[in-house]
Amino acid sequence: MNDQEKSYFQKKADRANRIARILISIGGYGVVVSIAGILLFLFYQSIPLFFPASVKKTETVDVNHSPHKILLTGIDQYQEIVYVLDDAGIISFIRLSDQKVIGQDSLPLEPQEHLLVACKGSLEEHIFAVGSTEGKIFTGEIRLQPQYQGSRRIIVPSFQLEGQFGAVNQNDSLPVHIERLLFRQTEEGIKRWSWVDHAGRLFVKIYDPDEDQEYLYNLSDNLGREKVSQLTATYNEDKLICGTLNGELFWFDVSQPDNVFLKDNWKVSQAAISALQFLIGDNALVIGDTDGAVQVWFPVRQADNQMKFLPVHQFASHKAPVILVYASPRNRTFLTIDARGGIHLNYSTTDKTEIEFRDSEYPIQTGSFSPKSNGIILVDSHNRLGSFILSNKYPEITLQTLFGKVWYEGYPKPEFVWQSTGGSDEFESKLSLIPLIFGTIKGTIYAMFFSIPLALLAAIYVSQFAPKWMARTVKPTVEIMAALPSVVIGFLAGLYFSPIVEKHLMTVFLFLIFLPVLFLMSIVFWRAVPEQRRAKVPMGWEIIFIVPVIAVTLALIITVAHSVEMILFDGNIKQWLYNVMGMVYDQRNSMVVGFALGFAVIPIIFTISEDALSNVPDSLTSASMALGASRWQTVRRVVLPAAAGGIFAAVMLGLGRAIGETMIVLMATGNTPIMSMSPFSGFRAMSACIAVEIPEAPVGGTLYRVLFLTALLLFIFTFLINSLSALIGDRLRKKYARF
Amino acid sequence: MTGTISHFKQKGDPYILLTSMGLVLSLGMVVFMISLILVKGLGFFWPSDLLEVKLENGESYLGEVWASQTAILNDKPEDEIQLKIGNRELYGLDFIWLKTTNITGESYPDDVTTFERLTYGNFYGFIASVKAGDKTISGEPLYMFHEAQVYHDTAQVLNGKIEEVSDKLNNLIAPYTRLQREISLFKMKQESLNEEDKSKLAGLQSDLEKLQERISEPYERLSAELQKLQQKDRNLSLKVRTAEGEEEEMQLSRIVRFYQPNRLNAAQKSGIYLSKVWEFISAQPRESNTEGGVFPAIFGTVMMVLLMSIAVVPFGVLAALYLNEYAKQGKMIRLIRLSVNNLAGVPSIVFGIFGLGFFIYMVGGTIDQLFYADKLPEPTFGTGGILWASLTLALLTLPVVVVATEEGILAVPRANKEGALALGATRWQMIRKIVLPNAMPGILTGLILAISRGAGEVAPLMITGVVKLAPSLPLDVTFPFLHLDRKFMHLGFQIYDVGFQSPNVEAAKPMVYTTALLLIIIVVVLNLVAIYLRNRLRKKYKTSVF
Repeated sequence: MNDQEKSYFQKKADRANRIARILISIGGYGVVVSIAGILLFLFYQSIPLFFPASVKKTETVDVNHSPHKILLTGIDQYQEIVYVLDDAGIISFIRLSDQKVIGQDSLPLEPQEHLLVACKGSLEEHIFAVGSTEGKIFTGEIRLQPQYQGSRRIIVPSFQLEGQFGAVNQNDSLPVHIERLLFRQTEEGIKRWSWVDHAGRLFVKIYDPDEDQEYLYNLSDNLGREKVSQLTATYNEDKLICGTLNGELFWFDVSQPDNVFLKDNWKVSQAAISALQFLIGDNALVIGDTDGAVQVWFPVRQADNQMKFLPVHQFASHKAPVILVYASPRNRTFLTIDARGGIHLNYSTTDKTEIEFRDSEYPIQTGSFSPKSNGIILVDSHNRLGSFILSNKYPEITLQTLFGKVWYEGYPKPEFVWQSTGGSDEFESKLSLIPLIFGTIKGTIYAMFFSIPLALLAAIYVSQFAPKWMARTVKPTVEIMAALPSVVIGFLAGLYFSPIVEKHLMTVFLFLIFLPVLFLMSIVFWRAVPEQRRAKVPMGWEIIFIVPVIAVTLALIITVAHSVEMILFDGNIKQWLYNVMGMVYDQRNSMVVGFALGFAVIPIIFTISEDALSNVPDSLTSASMALGASRWQTVRRVVLPAAAGGIFAAVMLGLGRAIGETMIVLMATGNTPIMSMSPFSGFRAMSACIAVEIPEAPVGGTLYRVLFLTALLLFIFTFLINSLSALIGDRLRKKYARF
Repeated sequence: MTGTISHFKQKGDPYILLTSMGLVLSLGMVVFMISLILVKGLGFFWPSDLLEVKLENGESYLGEVWASQTAILNDKPEDEIQLKIGNRELYGLDFIWLKTTNITGESYPDDVTTFERLTYGNFYGFIASVKAGDKTISGEPLYMFHEAQVYHDTAQVLNGKIEEVSDKLNNLIAPYTRLQREISLFKMKQESLNEEDKSKLAGLQSDLEKLQERISEPYERLSAELQKLQQKDRNLSLKVRTAEGEEEEMQLSRIVRFYQPNRLNAAQKSGIYLSKVWEFISAQPRESNTEGGVFPAIFGTVMMVLLMSIAVVPFGVLAALYLNEYAKQGKMIRLIRLSVNNLAGVPSIVFGIFGLGFFIYMVGGTIDQLFYADKLPEPTFGTGGILWASLTLALLTLPVVVVATEEGILAVPRANKEGALALGATRWQMIRKIVLPNAMPGILTGLILAISRGAGEVAPLMITGVVKLAPSLPLDVTFPFLHLDRKFMHLGFQIYDVGFQSPNVEAAKPMVYTTALLLIIIVVVLNLVAIYLRNRLRKKYKTSVF
C-alpha cells in the first residue's frame, strides 16, 4: 500500500467521521430542540388568547346628504357597501372602495314630512322602522345580496317598504311627533313596535303574521308620572324595557300578543337613562345614563322562582352622557358612545372595557357593527362616515375568566364553570380552567392516597425482608405491571368495577374498615404460634400468613355485608348517603378512579423506591444489626433515611404520571366538570378534557387555544415536578446518603 | 417479661407484616386483574349450550345463560338469570332478565341451533326447512342440519365467485370512472379554460367515447353473470323458527357459521373454539366492531409501530451516542439529560395535541397547499393519518430508546473502545465497529420497550389519526402501496371505542375483554423479551471490570 492509497482511505475515513459527527450532534441537540419546540409551540398557540383588541380606521366617506341628518346606517357582510338613511327618507347605497353612490331609494314621505327617529329590528338583518313628524311609522327592509358573475362577487343592494301605519292620534288637529321608537321583528316574523309620542304617551303595537292580527296597547297609565327616555326590547323573546328620566326601568311582558302587562319596575341609576340595548342572547341589558355610567343587568331566578334583574357588570364610565349603544351580532361585544364623541368597546362577560377611542371631534350620530362583527361604521353629525376594522378574536378570555369566578347569564352568582359549547351562536362560552385543575388535583390526591402506602410498603418488604427468590420474581412482575396499557385499566375500572362497587358498596366499605382489624388479627395469629415454630420459619416468609387471613376476611365480609347493610342503613347505603350526608353516589366516581389511577402508578413508585432501597450498602445495615438493632429498627432508622432521595424521586415520578394520565380518567370518571369534595362524585381532569374536546374545537378558535393553554399548564406542572424531584432528591441524597 | 408490647414493637414484627401486606395486596390486584381478563376474554369463544326456559305465563325463551344475580325487587331478594336471546331484529333487545321463581321448565333441546350472522348478531332457533333453488328440503332435524351445512358450503363458494366477478367488473369500469372524473374537473372551470385546455378536454371526451364502446360488451356480460350468481345465492336460504314459533327466512350466505351446541362434545366444541379464535385474529369487524375480528386493528397497530420505530430508533441512537461519545462534560450533557427526563415525564395527551397542532395542521396543511392544492378543501395530509400518528408516538417513546441505548453503550468495555482508538481508528469507525455491535442488545431493548409503549398508548393516537372503522388498510395493492395519509385502526383504541362508544355495550363487552387480552399478551411478551435481553446485557456488563 503506497502513500497515496493510504491517504485516500484516511481521507474517506475522515470524511465519514466528520459527517458522522455532524449527524450525531444533530441527534443530540435534536432532543433539546424537540422539547423546546413542544413548549414553544404550545405557547405560540395559546398566547393569542391574551392579545388586546384593536380598532383601525380604513375609510372616511363624506355622505353628501347635508343638511339632512343621517338616522340609520349599515354595512354588508363583506364590508363593501354601506347604506345611510337620512331624515328626508332617502336611502343611499355607497361603495366604500371608490365612495361612489351606486343606488338610491326613498320612503314615500309627504312634502313637509321628515323623519325623527329610526330603529333596527334585528341584529342580523337590516330591517328597520322609522317614525315621522306626521305620526307615521314606516317599516322597511334593506337587502345587500351577494351575487356571482363568473367568479366575481358583487353586492346588489335593494330596499323594500314593508308597510306603514299612523300612530294613534287623540287630537285630530295636531299631528303626532314620534319622539322615541322601538321596532323588533322576531325570527318567526312577529313584529313589535313601541313608541313614545310628543305628549309622552307610550304605545305598543304587535302584529302576529300567523293569525294576521294586530294588537295595540296604550301603556301610559303604567308609567305613573315617569317620562320615558329610552326604549328597548329583546330580539326574540318577551321583554320590553322602558327607561325613564328618573333612572328607573319598566319591564313589560310582551310574550303573549293578546296580553301585555307591566311585570316589574325598579331604579337602576340616579341619573336619567340615556341608552338601552339588549345583547345577543336576549339576556344581558346594557344601561347607559346621563352620568356616563355603563352597566349590564340580567334576569336571575330568585328563591320564589320569580325572575328579577340584578346588576352584574360595570364598565369604564364615559365623561359625557351615554347616548348610543350598539350590540354585536356575533358575541357579547358592544359599543357605547357618549354625547361628546367618546367611544368605548366593551365585552360583557369579562367586565372589560377593551378600547376607548375617539373618531371625530363631532358627536356621533349613528353607527353599526358589520354582520360578522369584524368591522364598525360610525357617522358623525357632519355626515362623515368612518369605516373601521375591528380585531377582537378572543374577547371572552382574560386571566379573570380563566382562573377567577365569573357571573354568567342565568346564574345566581359568580361561579367557576366549564361549559365550552352550547346549541347556538348565542351561547355564552364558559371556559374556566379551575374545575379542570380541581379535577386533576382531586384524582391525583386519591391516587396517591391509595398507591403510596401500598407501593412503599411493598418496596420495603421486597428489598429488606423478602427472600431473594421472591425478589427475583416480583421485580419483573412489577415491571410488566408497569407496562400494562392504561386503556385496559381504565376499561376495567369503568365497565367492570364501577357497577360492582356501586352494587356492593357496603362490602367495599367493610373491607376498608376491616383491613386494619384483620392486620391486627394476623399479628395475634402470628404471635399465637409458639416461639420455637416461629423461629423455624425462614425470614421473609411471614407473608404466608397474610394470604389466608385476607382471604378468610374477604369471604366473611361478603357473606355478612348484606345483613349489616340491612341493620345499619335500612338496606340501602346509597339512600342513607343522600339523605344524611347529602352526597349523591355516581357510578363512576373519584373513589374508583383513585383505585385505578393508583393501580397504574404503583409499579412506578415501587420500582424506583425498591432500587433506591437496595442500593443502600450492606455495610450500613450490617453495622446497624451488629449493634443490636432489630430488622425493623434498622430499616426505620438507617435504610429509609439513606434511601430518602430515591423514594422522594419515585413518589414525584408517580405524581407526574398520575397528573398526566388520560385514558383512565377518561373512562372511569364521569367526565363531569364539577367541583365537589365528595369521593362519590365524578370530575373532569385537564388531560381528559383535552382528549374529549380537541377533536370538536374549531381550529384557531377560542376553545382550541384554551385547550392548548391547558396542555401548556400540564406541561409546566410536570416540568416543575421533575425539577422539584431532581432538586430535593439531590438535597436529600446529600443529607442522608453520604456513603 | 418487662414491656412485652414495647419489645414487640421494637422488634418490629407487626411492621414487617404490614409491609408484606402491601406486597400481597399489590400483587393480588395484578393477578386478579389478569385472571379476570383471561377468563372473560378466553371464555368468549367457547360455544355455550342453549337453554330453553318455559315461564309460568306460558312464554318461552331460548338463549345462552349470560349471568345471574340476586336483585332486590320490592325489598325482597330475588334470584335472576340473564339470557342472551339474540334475534335482535325480532325482539329489539339482546338480553332479558328472568326471575328463577317464574321458571316452570328448563331443557337443553338437541335441535336448537346457534346462527352467527353478518348482521343483527346471533340467532337462536330451530331449522324448519332448507331451500336450495327450487327444492325445499324438510324432515328429521339432524338430516336438515346436514343438508343445511352442505348448502352453506355451496353458498360460501358462490360468494367467492360473486366477489371475483365483482372485482373484475370494478377493474373494467375503473379507467372509465377515472376519465369521467378528469373531464368533470375540466368542466368545473369551464369559463376560464384556454385553448390548450379546451383541446385537451375534447381529446378526453373522445377517449371516453372510445372506451365506452370497448367495454360495453364485457360490461354487459359480466353484469349479467353477476346478477345470475346473486340470484342463485338468494335462492339458498333456510327457514328458521324461534322458540315461540315465529318463522323467518335466512339467506345462507349471510350466515357466518352455525352449529347445534347441545349436541356437540368437547372436542367438537374445541374445533369451533379454535376457528373462532382464528376468525378473531384474521377477519374484518362486523356490526360496528362488536363482532367479527380485529385484523385491521392488528394490522394498523403493527404498521404504526413499524413506522414509529423507523423514526425513533435512529433519532434515539444518535442522541445516546452524542451523550456518551461526543458531548463534553458539563452544561450540554446536563441540558440534554434534563430534556430527556422532561420528555419522559410529559403527559401523553400533550404529545397528542402537539402532534395535532404542529404535525397535522401546520406541516400537513403546508404539504396540502404545496402538493395537493387541487384536492383542497378536502385535506390529504392536513388531517390525521398513520404518518403523523407514528411521528407523534416516536417523540413520545424517544426517552425510552435513549435511556436503553445508553445502558447498552455503557456496557461496552472501555478497553475495547480505547484499544480501537489507539490503533488509529477515527471516532466514527470505533463507534461503528465496536460500540454499536456491542450495544445492540441495549438498542433492541429500547426498541422493544418503545414498541410495547406504542401498542398500549391510546390518548395521543385518538386525536392524530386513529378511527373506529377504517375503509381500507394503509398498505394495499394500489399505487403508492404505502398510503401514509390514510387513517388506521388500533387495538388500544378498539378497546376504548367498543367499550364506551358502541351502540350495544352489553353485547360488545366480551369482545372488549378479548381485545384487551390480545393487547396484554402482546405487551407482556414484548416486555419479557426486553427483560431477557437486558439481563443478558447486565451479565456482560458485570464481566467487564475495567
